[in-house]
Amino acid sequence: MAIWVKAAAAAGLSVMISSVAISAAFAEQLKLGVSLPLSGPASLAGTSIREGIEFAVKQANQKGGVFDQDVKVFIEDDEGNPTKGVTAVRKLIEQDHVVGISGTYVSAVAAAESKVAKEYKVPMISAGSTSSAVTDANTAGDPWFFRAFPGSRAQAKQTASDTLKKLNAKTVAVLYENSIYGKSLADEFKSNYEGIGGKVVAMEAYNPGDKDFYSSLTNVRAQSPSAVYIAGLMDSGAQIIKQAGELGVQTQIVGSGSMMSDKLIELAGPASEGFAVSSMFEPSTPNKHGAEFAKEFRAAYKKEPDVYSAIGFDSMGLLIEAARRAGKPDGAAMQKQLLNMPDFPLSQGPDRTTAKFDDKGSVEFKVGLAIVKNGKREWLPFD
Amino acid sequence: MILFQQFLANGVVVGSSYVLVALGLTLIFGILKIVNFAHGEFYMLGGYVAVVGTQVLGIGPLPSIVLVIVVMVMLGWFIERAIFVPIAKKDPTNVIIASFGLSILLQNIVLKIAGPEPMLARSGLPRGAIQIGNIFLTSERLAIVALAAVTVTALLVVLKYTWIGLSLRAMSENATVARICGINVRRVGVVTFAIGAALAGLAGALMATVFTVQPNAGSLIVMKAFVIVVLAGMGSIEGAIIAGLALGIVESLVTGYLGNGLRDIVGFIFVMGVLTIRPQGLFGIQTDRS
Repeated sequence: MAIWVKAAAAAGLSVMISSVAISAAFAEQLKLGVSLPLSGPASLAGTSIREGIEFAVKQANQKGGVFDQDVKVFIEDDEGNPTKGVTAVRKLIEQDHVVGISGTYVSAVAAAESKVAKEYKVPMISAGSTSSAVTDANTAGDPWFFRAFPGSRAQAKQTASDTLKKLNAKTVAVLYENSIYGKSLADEFKSNYEGIGGKVVAMEAYNPGDKDFYSSLTNVRAQSPSAVYIAGLMDSGAQIIKQAGELGVQTQIVGSGSMMSDKLIELAGPASEGFAVSSMFEPSTPNKHGAEFAKEFRAAYKKEPDVYSAIGFDSMGLLIEAARRAGKPDGAAMQKQLLNMPDFPLSQGPDRTTAKFDDKGSVEFKVGLAIVKNGKREWLPFD
Repeated sequence: MILFQQFLANGVVVGSSYVLVALGLTLIFGILKIVNFAHGEFYMLGGYVAVVGTQVLGIGPLPSIVLVIVVMVMLGWFIERAIFVPIAKKDPTNVIIASFGLSILLQNIVLKIAGPEPMLARSGLPRGAIQIGNIFLTSERLAIVALAAVTVTALLVVLKYTWIGLSLRAMSENATVARICGINVRRVGVVTFAIGAALAGLAGALMATVFTVQPNAGSLIVMKAFVIVVLAGMGSIEGAIIAGLALGIVESLVTGYLGNGLRDIVGFIFVMGVLTIRPQGLFGIQTDRS
């Protein structure tokens, strides 16, 4: 009996305290979640994106945090696996009570996760997933999955036009990763490229993580296209470029956005000379907000940022700002704010790119093209 | 025809690495009857030891190969004695689960230490293509085939002329009879396991010079090695050599003529077909219990 009384008294007291002071101190802390592939084949990008995310959080907390408290971030490893991703997002929402999620990198995982987040009314912002299919699945005007950079449709369209017009290649062989990322890019590249007068001579799929491309490239060599377009991740891309060089395939190679990594140049070696890649961010960006991010990142991490850290920085920065504008840690209020942030600057894209989300939750800006010269990527100016 | 020659050459290179991995597995799985799913991780670890040798210690390719073999023999010895033997005492099927656990453990330890980035072992061989007729290859790819041939020959000699070879061949024909004849099964077991681990590690080291190595590098190749061992017939050494090369070549031809997407499927289709028609495998010996 005594225990019951004590318990009741304690509960009553705690209700009183929480309603006065603690609610301001505890309930309003901004909790955000992160889902990224931190192990498995896509983890190279995942770890780099995490640095950008952590940098955005660190910056916000140094400036006093949100609602007078540090922003708390929960990070989950989804291993690039849709099942693990759904489990991760459920844990973030149900156990950690996050109100917004930055994630994830693999498009197939993002597609699965976004369904759960929508159900709980927790906005998600892509941390690198490119496939347009994920934002297309949003209800127009009420998106819960956002992407602060152009999707595969826009990227493929830009690459198709760059390949034909800037690189002057009239025939292309397409090698693509058999995933929703690779396939959506490849299909959209093909229709755009043929729409403007180019000719796709071959479409060849490969499994994620494949390393040996001699047989595929032997076929490519026999068809002698003027360019090869690779839609896939960095590790396979590096192998294709290197092996194309070994097999004597003399052609312009163009890669999708995830190959925009210094590691690719290191792994592919001299064969990467002349390699062209779609690029949304380079440390040498003409984007003033991006250049400032690059400078601060360099000072904090003693290394150059890349497109991944820029994506992570923008994705997390948007969530924090949306919460600040909403005035409370509430997913639905943040979603409304996200749809109305055309003044928020992004570090990616040309100068003065802002988070002007369309009614499907995507941002459109011009995707650039970088070419490897003397072992370094050089960004061609936006035209 | 020009394409065919190149496809064939590609297949022989990849097939050579399959042979090395599958030979190790045929010793462990086919003869010792240990189902070791961590065999692919031996392949992956061999790759990383080669990276350490050539990139970190800078000791050159041949000493690095020696390092790989020494490390993998020690590791194989340790794992057999510390994990598999004690677990098998209670119930041999527990070994299968334990090997799964070991596989995940090793992958994650490497991920923690080396990180997810693909790493390249330096072969020190000249870069660039070598053209033989209509075939383009690199010196590294030729070296893989050559070293695999040397290793296979050495293994065959060991099997033919040493006590361990004699014991192994006896065990592959009939383990019970071999035991009755006085073969020290435990001693044979640990030596065989160590040799198997070293063969997988060697394959991983060679492939790391061409295809780089990542923590998950062994997960697909171990399944292919199982396919080869089952195709060849449990415990058939010569069968594993032929089936390994054949799988490499068939995969290469399928990729070339039918498309890359089908490559990883063909082996498994073959295995189902062969098991239906010839359950003991292509080169397996059927021994009747008396």
